[in-house]
Amino acid sequence: MKGNAKRSYKARVRSSERISPSCGVIVFERPEGFPDALPGQFVSVRVSDSTVPLLRRPYSIMDLTDIELALLVKVAGKGSAMLASAGPGDVMDLAGPLGGSSFADPGGEDAVLVAGGTGLAPMIYSARTWKRRVGRGRLYLVHGAASSAESPDASFEADFDMVFRATMDGSAGFSGDVVTLLAKLLDEGRISAPLLYSCGPAAMVRALVERAGGRFKSHHTSLEAVMACGVGACRGCTVPLREEGRIVFKAVCDDGTVFRASDIAWEEWW
Amino acid sequence: MTEGKNTAFRVGNAAFINPVLLASGPAGYGLEYSGMIRLARLGGVVTKTISLKPRAGNPGVRLRETGSGLLNSVGLENVGAARFFGEKLPAILEAGIRPVVSLAAEDWDDYTLLLDETSGHRDVDVVELNLSCPNVERGGMAVGTDPEKVDSYVREARSKLPGVALLAKLTPNVQDIASLAAAAEGAGADGITAINTVLGMDIDVANRRPVFRMVRAGLSGPAILPVALEAVWRAARAVKIPVIGAGGISSVGDAMKFFMAGAAAVQVGTAIFYDPGLPERIADELERTGLPARI
Repeated sequence: MKGNAKRSYKARVRSSERISPSCGVIVFERPEGFPDALPGQFVSVRVSDSTVPLLRRPYSIMDLTDIELALLVKVAGKGSAMLASAGPGDVMDLAGPLGGSSFADPGGEDAVLVAGGTGLAPMIYSARTWKRRVGRGRLYLVHGAASSAESPDASFEADFDMVFRATMDGSAGFSGDVVTLLAKLLDEGRISAPLLYSCGPAAMVRALVERAGGRFKSHHTSLEAVMACGVGACRGCTVPLREEGRIVFKAVCDDGTVFRASDIAWEEWW
Repeated sequence: MTEGKNTAFRVGNAAFINPVLLASGPAGYGLEYSGMIRLARLGGVVTKTISLKPRAGNPGVRLRETGSGLLNSVGLENVGAARFFGEKLPAILEAGIRPVVSLAAEDWDDYTLLLDETSGHRDVDVVELNLSCPNVERGGMAVGTDPEKVDSYVREARSKLPGVALLAKLTPNVQDIASLAAAAEGAGADGITAINTVLGMDIDVANRRPVFRMVRAGLSGPAILPVALEAVWRAARAVKIPVIGAGGISSVGDAMKFFMAGAAAVQVGTAIFYDPGLPERIADELERTGLPARI
């Protein structure tokens, strides 16, 4: 049965580095026996030994090498603040890799990767997994954030063929939302690709579907959700999908995190 | 394993190797957690509540974390009886897990059909009647808050499932849980499970609307432990059949409190989300020390 090999590990923090005023990269030593992961898979981290906060926090894998596991953390509340304050040597319990679907390798085709905020993490892991090389399609990253304070520094840019940034307050890159920037880039012919991958807040993904979805052959999105079990058991993190004209609920943690964006029944999801 | 104390637990004709079970809901159909919990080491796993037909569950937000608690509005999403008995149950048994099958129905007709369906499966020797889910419009808590309905639902199950151990899972959202426990016992229940989630709600301030489509939701987690403990203490004084304590257990010590309040066994639910090793640690400790005496 699906999910039954998923287990938790004790992971030791190697480093914790701030890459923008509100975002950091936490690097763990890869725990012994931790399986290889696919782009879009995640781990759930127990950030506290107490019951505050109660639940583990899900984080998309930003990088996984033979020796390291990296997560991109934006301080948004109690849980993320605890994770962000972890220092070298701290040991945390994390389960993973979780997630039953992933971003498919685009192979020779060009792809646009649209990320909102820390939705950047799976895009970095995708790019590092697929690796730039001759014969491979181009990877365009379009990143959106509220302000430059949430726009990570340039250290990740080498993984992509081209990088475009948008900030809502105009403090870095294009002034406005990431979907408007994408539409502009497409209109001006500055980028063009058959494949669209996205990760970010639901409102961003919905706007992408409504305003840019028709301009791509396919659009796959890695969804964010509040989760409890992370393994498909509790059915708490469901997303409504339209399947053959009816609504079905799929678990973001186990059926996802990656779904065909055009299947999502947005009006059923708040 | 060194020689530990015998902590085997019985309810009706059903035997359990120890009195530590996983509560219905968080653990799904059991196997989802088999990488994180040694499920066969536990007394049993209460399955997600099964209804006659598949249920899609509730739309909208289903989870909201609170201060040391968790609100849920899953709405009894499940695969339905046919797929459960055909697919899930054989896999559970194959894995060496001891299942307790949780059942609920939207109305009386569905209920009798569900009992008929269940009675055909000889592998099922213990059933937990979910008379207490707050997250459905029909059935669930609407049944479990009325002693007369509890009586008729348990009585029907008793007659259709002879020889099967029957647990009645009760809601804390009542004035007097003792009278409900007594009604279940009088109608032939072999045990009581107390408690299901506590009614609660939350509001999305920015958008001026309830967080959940159903407005109300069920609160679980450490926040409800005192409520559960009091309910178990009262229920255990009202009936002679075993009471299984559930609600907010998040440490070995919490489990001990339930035994001292009069529980014969415990169920762990929400805690497995953050501490999947807890049920096994409780079982280990009980084997080391034996069951704590009732206060």
